[in-house]
Amino acid sequence: MSSPPMPAVQVTGLRKSFRAAGATIEAVSGIDLTVPAGEIFGLLGPNGAGKTTTLRILTTLLPADAGSVFIAGADVFRAPGLVRRRIGYVGQLGGADKEATGRENLLLAGRLYGRSAADARRRCAELTEVFDLDALAGRPVRTYSGGQRRRLEVALGIMHRPQVLFLDEPTTGLDPQNRANLQEQVRLLRDGGTTIFLTTHYLDEADQLCDRVAIVDHGRVIALGSPDELKERYSADTIEVTADAGAEMLEDVACSLADEPSIASLAVANGTIRVTAVDATQAMALVFGALAARGVPTRAASVARPTLDDVFLRETGRSLRDTGSPSVAAVSEVAA
Amino acid sequence: MSAFAAFGVQTGLFFRRKLFETLRQPVWIITGLTAPVLYLALFEPLLRPLAGTKAFPPGHVVDVFVPGIMVLIAFGAGMGAGWPVIWELDSGVIERLRVTPASRLALLLGTVLRDIVMFAVPGAVVVAIGAAIGYHVHWGGLVLLFVLLALLTAACSAASSALGLKLRQIGSLAAVVTGAQLPLTLLAGILLPLSLGPAWLRVLGHFNPMYYGVQAARSLAAGSVDTGAVGLGFLVMVVITGLAMWWGTRAYQGAMA
Repeated sequence: MSSPPMPAVQVTGLRKSFRAAGATIEAVSGIDLTVPAGEIFGLLGPNGAGKTTTLRILTTLLPADAGSVFIAGADVFRAPGLVRRRIGYVGQLGGADKEATGRENLLLAGRLYGRSAADARRRCAELTEVFDLDALAGRPVRTYSGGQRRRLEVALGIMHRPQVLFLDEPTTGLDPQNRANLQEQVRLLRDGGTTIFLTTHYLDEADQLCDRVAIVDHGRVIALGSPDELKERYSADTIEVTADAGAEMLEDVACSLADEPSIASLAVANGTIRVTAVDATQAMALVFGALAARGVPTRAASVARPTLDDVFLRETGRSLRDTGSPSVAAVSEVAA
Repeated sequence: MSAFAAFGVQTGLFFRRKLFETLRQPVWIITGLTAPVLYLALFEPLLRPLAGTKAFPPGHVVDVFVPGIMVLIAFGAGMGAGWPVIWELDSGVIERLRVTPASRLALLLGTVLRDIVMFAVPGAVVVAIGAAIGYHVHWGGLVLLFVLLALLTAACSAASSALGLKLRQIGSLAAVVTGAQLPLTLLAGILLPLSLGPAWLRVLGHFNPMYYGVQAARSLAAGSVDTGAVGLGFLVMVVITGLAMWWGTRAYQGAMA
């Protein structure tokens, strides 16, 4: 590739509103993103955060109100045909033709991108092997299990070897085994040079699968970075130490630690000292030291690593886990 | 590959896909063939006493009735297009196809061409049976009749696809299509010639584009190729087909929001 390397996805000032029931709802309120080629990038956020709307704009399905989007160097709004040649898309609905066989679906997809019949057959054979669909390829898709269908749909999205593959909630509705299997396929695709842009509302999926994550809420990016960076930047480890001592004694221990630069916050409740710190090991040693100096025996201790939910909580005051119910914005997104 | 050749390939692929969709459901093929036969068997005896009255168009009753049934088949073959469109919206098939570089007109044409086949095959059956019971075949007129009604099928098919894409709900589509069916078919004089009706009905008929198709179809079926009715019928069919194709392509192009 020529230098400077071209980003796989470049989004600037993206905005999109919908009118629903007489009210205007802004689904995307000024999103800026740059995704370099070759990474797995995730949009993480609750239902109605604008993830699907953003993805639909990026994949030429929906016009935007403002902003610019370039995919692998091609302008989504000015040259959608060029963009379509360079991207693959697997929507939430999947999009496999259920009455047709898996092979018929794959061959049609290949030929629509201009491959010859022989070339499409070759690629189809390759993908049915990679996605473990060989035994199913001649059967109508309606007879597939959920996991099998999802694998076919991802195969449909990469028949033409796209530079960027968009996946909208790819693992929603899959059992843990199929989820792990699909995530592994996504990693292999990335290792093969494909850029992956996905949306998810699963915290652990964003954390484990994505190289970088943009956390979105109400149509805005509220945090952007690698999962580790985000967790470090926005929150700290939490240590809880339970000790055999009265509240007064524990308050005294807490006070003695209050000035330690490595400790971010301290709280005492129900015989437990709760400490947040950037470096858990160091903070833990300090707490143990202070307790031992006063001859207080320790009963239990635990360390909780920060999660992306802590990042979301800190930025929005809400937990991602509690935002499952569809909001007005979510309804408009479905309608879109 | 040139853009035009790619368009041809894509149209062929979508046509094949739609044809397979129909062939996988033999029930549609059976009803598609039996319905026109039933019309001929059950309706023709009803019309027979009317023939010979002065309002009835001249000719054998089958001669009047065969083109009518053909128009009805064309209308029905085309108007069914919207239902699968809604299933394909719901299952994400259309969304997936819209992300490919495939031409949206090719996407629409695949269905249109399938529907033309779905008109032409039962249409040929009707002609064959009609000929057996007294319809006078005029070959030149018959060929043009099939062309004219292929245009009508195309217009109905494209309009039905567009309606499916816009309405997105089976219920709404069914309401609109069945609601439009009665005035469109009755005011075209498809089964019962409008000449049997009062003057106001005949005037109203002139506002229905299908009326001109039916008039031309009757003329062609009777072997009169160079009449004004035929010219006008082709003109109206070409115009509504063009408009419906434009509308259907536009519907595929975007407006998913």
